[in-house]
Amino acid sequence: MSLLERHRNIIDFALSSLGRRWKKNIALTLVYAFTVFTLASVIFFTEAVKREARAVLQGAPEIVVQRLMAGRHDLIPAVYIDTLKKITGVGQVKGRLWGYYYEPSTGANYTVVASGNPPLEPGTIAVGQGVSRTLHAAEGDLIPLKGADGAYVSFEVTRVFSHASELVSADLIEMPAGDLRAFFGIPEGFYTDLTLKVRNEKELVVVADKIRRLLPDTRPILRDEILRTYDSLFDWRSGLLLVIFAGAVAAFIIFAWDKATSLSMEERREMGVLKAVGWETSEVIAMKSWEGVIISLTAFFGGTLFAYVHVFFSSALLFEPVLKGWAVLYPRFQLVPHIDPYQVLALFFLTVVPYTVATVIPSWNAATVDPDSIMRL
Amino acid sequence: MPGRKSDIFFIVVALGAAAFGLMMAHAHHRNGNAGSGLKEKAMLVERLELTDLCLFSDARYARHPSMADLHSAFQDSPMAMEHFPSGTVILPPPHLRLR
Amino acid sequence: MVELKHITKIFNRNRPDEFTALEDVSLLVEARKATVFKGPSGSGKTTLLSIIGAMAKPTSGRVFLDGREITSLPERFLTEVRRRTFGFIFQQFHLIRGISALENVMLPAYTTGEKHAALRDRALRLLDLFGLAAKARSRVEWLSGGEAQRVTIARALVNDPAVVIADEPTAHLDTKLSKDFLGIMAQLNAEGKTILIASHDPLVYESALVDRVVEMRDGRLRGSGQAA
Repeated sequence: MSLLERHRNIIDFALSSLGRRWKKNIALTLVYAFTVFTLASVIFFTEAVKREARAVLQGAPEIVVQRLMAGRHDLIPAVYIDTLKKITGVGQVKGRLWGYYYEPSTGANYTVVASGNPPLEPGTIAVGQGVSRTLHAAEGDLIPLKGADGAYVSFEVTRVFSHASELVSADLIEMPAGDLRAFFGIPEGFYTDLTLKVRNEKELVVVADKIRRLLPDTRPILRDEILRTYDSLFDWRSGLLLVIFAGAVAAFIIFAWDKATSLSMEERREMGVLKAVGWETSEVIAMKSWEGVIISLTAFFGGTLFAYVHVFFSSALLFEPVLKGWAVLYPRFQLVPHIDPYQVLALFFLTVVPYTVATVIPSWNAATVDPDSIMRL
Repeated sequence: MPGRKSDIFFIVVALGAAAFGLMMAHAHHRNGNAGSGLKEKAMLVERLELTDLCLFSDARYARHPSMADLHSAFQDSPMAMEHFPSGTVILPPPHLRLR
Repeated sequence: MVELKHITKIFNRNRPDEFTALEDVSLLVEARKATVFKGPSGSGKTTLLSIIGAMAKPTSGRVFLDGREITSLPERFLTEVRRRTFGFIFQQFHLIRGISALENVMLPAYTTGEKHAALRDRALRLLDLFGLAAKARSRVEWLSGGEAQRVTIARALVNDPAVVIADEPTAHLDTKLSKDFLGIMAQLNAEGKTILIASHDPLVYESALVDRVVEMRDGRLRGSGQAA
C-alpha cells in the first residue's frame, strides 16, 4: 500500500499548494464549473425534449396531406378526400381544421384547432395554460377574439388544459369545427389539410408515393418524418447550439490555459525546493497533476449536479430568454429526467482532458529543473 | 494531525460521487414514473391530431417545424428577418433537407 | 567516502555568459569527519557541495560514493541515493511557506511511501530534539531566523542521512546562534555523521569541531591543511 501512501502524501501537498493560491484557484474552479454547467444543461435539456417528443407524438396522424399553391400552403379541397380514399391501403381520411390566431393586445400567437371527440359545445372553447396566462382567462370566463371579418366573437372558456400537458397544449385554443370555419372564414368544401390512416404500416411510403402522383399539388408528410424532425431539432450543428458549445469550450480552454500555465515565481520556487529535498521530476509532475484533478473533479461534479437541478427541477429557467425569443408565450417545461451516461462521459473528457493538458505541460518545464537550481535562484 | 487534508479530499469526492449516483438513480426512477404526464400529452395529441410540440410560438415554421414548407421563412413579409433565436436553434426538418 | 576525480563544472556552456565554477577539482572526503570548505564568495564552494551531495552533475570528471560511481546514474536512482545519503542545509533555508514546520520536515520523505503516522512521529522527535516541539504546527513564516534554521536542520535529518551538508549556515546568525549551530553539528559528528560545511566565517573554520579545512579560490583547491 505504499503507492497509496505516496499519493496520499502528494495529495496533501497538492491541496495545501492550491490553498496557498486560493483566490486564483477558486476563480478557476468556478469558471470550469460554469462551463460544465452550461454544456450539461444543454445536453440534459435537448435529450429530454427529444425523448418527450418521441413518446408523445406517437399518436400523431400517420400521414398529413398539405396542398401547395405557388409554393405556399393553401387550403385543400374536400373532394381530394374521395381521391385519397380510393388508394389501396388507405383506411380513414379526415379533414383537419386549424390555424393561427394573433392577439394584438398581448402580442401572442395561438394555435387554434378544431374540436375532436367529444366535440365542444358551440360558443365554447378549451384553452392551454399559456393562453390562460396571457389572456388572464380562467374556466368560466368569456373572452373576445377577433374574427376574419373584423368582428369580435365571444367564447366561453369551459376548460383549461393541465400544466402537465403544456408542452403540447400551452398555446392551444380548441374550438368547435363550425365556429372555427365561421371565425376564420374558411369556406365549406375546404380544409386546412387532410389526415390519413393506413391499414398496413409497411405501406406508408408506397401510399405517399401514390398520393404525390395522384395529387401533384399536394405534399404528404409521414409520422416518421414528424418524429425525426424532433430527433434532429436540437442537433448540435444547429446554429445557436453550436455557438454555445464552441463558445463555452473555447472560452474555457483559453481561460484554463492562461490561469493554469501562468506558474507564478512562488510556484516555480516551491517546485525547485521539492526537487532539492529529494522529489523526482515525475513526483513533482504528479503533484501538479493532482492539483488539476482536484479542480477538475470538483468543477465537474458541481457543474453537472447543478445542471441536473437546473433542467429538471427549475424547468431550465436560464434557457428561457434564449428559447423564448420574440414569443410572448412560453410553455412551462416539466421534463422527465433522463441521463445518457455516454454523453456525460463525453462531457467529462471534453473538459477534463484539455484542462489536465493545460496544467501538466507548463509544469513539465518547471519540474525538470536540476535539483541544485534552487540554490542559484 | 486531525483531519488530514487528503482525507478530507477523499470524503468530498466520495460525497460528490454519491450525489452523482443519487442523480442517476433519480433520473432512472422518474423515467419509470413518467407515465401520467406523458400519457396525458399523448392522448391530447391523438384526440386533436396534433403534430408538434409547443416550444416556440413566435414563428409558424418554429411552432410547427414538421409542417413547415420551403418558403415559410418569408411568409410573414418579404423583408421578414428570421426569428431569433428560435430560427437559429432549430434546423429545417429532415424531410425538407434531404430534397 | 565521497571521491571526486578531476571535476569541472561550467555553467551556461557555449553561451556568452559561460562561467567556470570548478576547475579540475580532485578530492577525497573521509567518512565521519567534519570538513570545512573555506574561501571567498564565488570560489565555487556551493557548487562543490552540490556535486558532492549528488544534487548536480559535473560537466566533466567522475564522482564516487563509497567506491561506486554515481556520475552518470539516471535521475531516479540518483535521487534515491541522494535522499538516503545526504541531508542538505541551504543557506537560504528554502522552507515552504504556508505549511507547518512539521510538514516541512516531513516533506523529503513524502514520496517514499512510508506510513504517515510513523513519519510524523519521527519528524516530531526531530523537532523536539531542537526544542521546537511546541512550534511544530506553526507556519514557518512565523518562526524566528534561528528557529527556521533548526527546522531546516531537522528536515535535512528526516531520512537519517550519513552525510550532513551545510552551505554558509552562519551567514544570517549572530554569534550565540552560530555557536549553537556548531554545537549541533558537533553532536551529529559524535553520532558518526560526516559533516561538510561551506563557510567564510572564521567562527566556523576555526572551531574545534573541524577536522579538516579545504581552501578554495576561483574554482580551484588550494591545498588541504589540518585545522589549528
